[in-house]
Amino acid sequence: MLKMNNISKIYQTEMVQTHALKDFSLQVDEGEFIAVTGPSGSGKTTFLNIAGMLEPFSEGEYLLDGIDVGKLNDNQRADVRNQKIGFIFQGFNLIPDLNLYENIEVPLRYRGIKAAERKRRIEQCLEQVGLASRAKHLPQQLSGGQQQRVAIARALAGEPRFLLADEPTGNLDSLMARQVMELLEQINRDGATIVMVTHDPELARRAPRNIQVVDGQLADFTLYQGAQNLKNVAGA
Amino acid sequence: MLEIKPIFHALCRSKIGALLLLLQIAITTAIVSNAAFIIEDKVSYLSQETGYPEDEIFSFHVMLFGDDVSSHQQFELDEAMLRRLPGVIDAAYISNTPLSGSGSASDFSINPAPEPGLSARTSYFFTDDHALNTLGLELAAGRNFNESEVIVTDNNEQRANVTIITQVLADELFPDADALGKTVYLGDIALKIVGIIKKTKGPWLKDSRPDSVALIPYINPNISGNFIVRTDASQRAKLTSTIEDEMLKNYDKRVIVRVRGLDEAKESYMAQDTLMMRMLIVLITILVLVTALGIFGLTLFNISKRTKQIGTRRALGARKSAIISYFLVENAMICSFGLILGCIAALLLGQLLMQHFSIAALPTSYIVGTAIMVFVMSLLAVFGPARRAANISPSIATRTI
Amino acid sequence: MLLHYFDLSWRSFKRTPLVSSLMVLAIAIGIGVTMTSLSVYHMMASDPIPSKSSQLFSVQMQIMDDGNTWWTKDNLPLQLTYKDATNLYRANTEGNRLSMVRSGFSIYTDSDTVKPFSKSARMTTPEFFDMFQLEFLYGNKWSQQQEENAAPVVVISEELNERLFAGENSVGNIIYLDNESYEVIGVTKNWPLVVKYYDLNNGAFNEPESMFLPFSLVEAREFGNWGNTNGWKHEDVRSFKAKLQSEMVWVQFWVELNNAQQKQDYETFLMAYMEEQQKRGRFNRKELIYSLRDVNQWMEYNNVISEDNKILVALSFMFLAVCLANILGLLLAKFLRRAPEVGVRRALGASKRQVFLQHLVEVAMLGCFGGLIGIVLAQLGLWGVRQSYDYYSSIATMDITMLLSAPIIAITTCILAGLYPAWLVCKTNPAIYLKSQ
Repeated sequence: MLKMNNISKIYQTEMVQTHALKDFSLQVDEGEFIAVTGPSGSGKTTFLNIAGMLEPFSEGEYLLDGIDVGKLNDNQRADVRNQKIGFIFQGFNLIPDLNLYENIEVPLRYRGIKAAERKRRIEQCLEQVGLASRAKHLPQQLSGGQQQRVAIARALAGEPRFLLADEPTGNLDSLMARQVMELLEQINRDGATIVMVTHDPELARRAPRNIQVVDGQLADFTLYQGAQNLKNVAGA
Repeated sequence: MLEIKPIFHALCRSKIGALLLLLQIAITTAIVSNAAFIIEDKVSYLSQETGYPEDEIFSFHVMLFGDDVSSHQQFELDEAMLRRLPGVIDAAYISNTPLSGSGSASDFSINPAPEPGLSARTSYFFTDDHALNTLGLELAAGRNFNESEVIVTDNNEQRANVTIITQVLADELFPDADALGKTVYLGDIALKIVGIIKKTKGPWLKDSRPDSVALIPYINPNISGNFIVRTDASQRAKLTSTIEDEMLKNYDKRVIVRVRGLDEAKESYMAQDTLMMRMLIVLITILVLVTALGIFGLTLFNISKRTKQIGTRRALGARKSAIISYFLVENAMICSFGLILGCIAALLLGQLLMQHFSIAALPTSYIVGTAIMVFVMSLLAVFGPARRAANISPSIATRTI
Repeated sequence: MLLHYFDLSWRSFKRTPLVSSLMVLAIAIGIGVTMTSLSVYHMMASDPIPSKSSQLFSVQMQIMDDGNTWWTKDNLPLQLTYKDATNLYRANTEGNRLSMVRSGFSIYTDSDTVKPFSKSARMTTPEFFDMFQLEFLYGNKWSQQQEENAAPVVVISEELNERLFAGENSVGNIIYLDNESYEVIGVTKNWPLVVKYYDLNNGAFNEPESMFLPFSLVEAREFGNWGNTNGWKHEDVRSFKAKLQSEMVWVQFWVELNNAQQKQDYETFLMAYMEEQQKRGRFNRKELIYSLRDVNQWMEYNNVISEDNKILVALSFMFLAVCLANILGLLLAKFLRRAPEVGVRRALGASKRQVFLQHLVEVAMLGCFGGLIGIVLAQLGLWGVRQSYDYYSSIATMDITMLLSAPIIAITTCILAGLYPAWLVCKTNPAIYLKSQ
């Protein structure tokens, strides 16, 4: 699904060059649920931005679903984001001027889906996150957990095969965080590949596969096994 | 792709900003359309055809104070001298300079006063047989004055008996017949029409009848007189600078004033209208700029307010063009409402101006033209900021600020 | 506290320099445009003789027979006939009065250094100087006796005295007007007149004449009229004498009436005069009409402020409204964006009133900057007006009233624009902003 080979990202300021990512390689298979952890400043967010094609990378190769991302122009990248990736942001990033229905509609409109089909999908997604009755509400009328569920519904509406979640529970209390996490697990079970960036080891442990980014590089694969075991325990 | 409905909803939720923009656009439309109409009116007034080769003619005024010569004889000598000057095509005595704003007018009637009859307000020039050539006037019918018909006198007893009038006046006084050879009356003075000239303006372009003009071959120059000189256009500047000396060389107990080209005389007569036109042009230009600046500033502000939102949209798959079109559509919507309001305001303002001032009804074409212009201007004003918005990196979406 | 607000305002200005500058620019342009047209209007409309403007009246009489029309709105001719002016002047009525016409001459002196030139002159009865408040630098006006005798005397302006006599006391000197000699008996001080209200026939903004001579010289020496002469019926006028006896109008006539009683008496007198003239075969009309207009009414009646100027002022104020909307929009955006900071201030104990005031001080500061730049722009605009039309050179200027008005209008406009945004900011609940972010 996702394959990064020796990706480097260099931020150039007047004085110094900062390597945000250095020779970063990673493969994620179809249907996986990966948690990416690491201390702040380690390059987590850069990884996420590159994986989500929100930022260009300096060197290396990145294939998403077989598409060589490095060769795409801006419009093509926008289209790939729109069609293949669902984003869940830490700050929810709902558009305050639009009600829930219209918020979820945003990516569908960019894809050029017809109104009737949009309506079907939006209603289905709202149903799925349990907010069907609030379609006409504005984001600020909802609690944080509800807002994040709307954001997930927005990510799901496009039926993406790849979900990128950035600290999806970062702004939520523990109860809400658990609800959101369960929702993500459900989505993963339904077949979507999920990459979740988090600094919370608790949360990371719930993901079947964990990777850690330290100083712009993949640090340690050993956790992978541990996490697998943990999942088995949790599953049992 | 056009997200009209959600944009509209979003707008409704931030009413005041949009309302203010709408108001600006409305007032701008009202002012610009009315001002443009006034400007157009001034432009057509200022650029009207006068019938004279203005850049080849200059005139000057002579005030005689010496009493050792007879003024009309002196002026005869002056005329002869002027015509001999190198570069001069012709010169004539004339009671007033055309287009200059000073002159004489009276009713010309088909019957002698005090008998009533068809009459028309006419501005007239006392001049001689060189006037036609000097002023570059074309005869439509008939002939120029003979030298013998020109009355040169220093008392009021002798009177002229022929005249040359404009086609406009001829048509007015003799609507059904050929005016040539007919007699018109200035008071009780009978003047036989010997020639008819084409389009010619009198002393006042703002007169109720600026085209109703007559030339009368009569020279009675008390102590002051007015001369017109026709030259080659390229020679005029040189001649106007030396004419005072030439005249004083001929006779020095006099003062030469108002030496100026016919176009300069016209310009100074029209100066107030020129000024009004310029001020209005400046006003509407600045107004449109200010409105554009307002749209520009507000869009810029909206964009900085919505940076995160724009990044999110980009992350969710919006192409750059979609972001640009979002702002263009948003603006077009506000603008359209503003323009509807503006058209109504323009009509009302037009009506108000018509009521209080001597301004004709505002034609709809001006409103439509202005509306289109304002619409395009507003899109242009938005385009820059919108492009800036489109360049917002989608990675903004993952930043926590 | 106010100082603190100014400090905060200045910081706020520097924090959003682009938007703040846009606002200042908008108000500056608005003020520039408005003040340009308003200054011209103000100069045209200002009372030229405030202490007496309601006591000086221009006299008009309807001399035309029934059926004739004039171009004025009430059909009255603007001037009087020579005989009416003379009769009214000689009549035994209360209050100063004067007859006058505009003429002009070639001038030279005995000195060879001054080349002959021409100047316009005012032929007037000697009351002119008192009635229109001219002051003398040297000498004095001519006496009633000299007026009656058509004495060859002349009062010249300070400017003309400068040109002819290098500013020396020239009283007693001789100047030549059209080859006739006149004795200088007085020099008037500079007369800074914006509107030439006493004779509006040949342009309201021309300079006053630079010579004054006894009115009786007109008849005695048959001076030509440099003003307007208008006839309304057919008359055989072939000589100057005939012109003096004709029904042509070409003389201006003013009276000074100091109270309502005097005015009423004069009206009665005018009516009686017209009735008497009617008996002699003039004023062939059913209704006898006269008019006494004071200085300001006279200026209004003569359309001193042209239609164009009025339209410009109206449009400029609409322009200012656009600028106001413009600023309001920007202020709203700017203030609301700052709501979180206000939330913090409110939480720290700032009262609504303080927040409101702080924001008003900020907009007032913007207005002040805008007003000052606006004055510069208006000066530029007025300079442009003067360049385009030198006839407006004395009018297209800003007097002290206008200079002071500019920042006041600017600040008022800005505060008007700032009221709503400031109110909106100060009424927001601080808690909202403290919770999120």
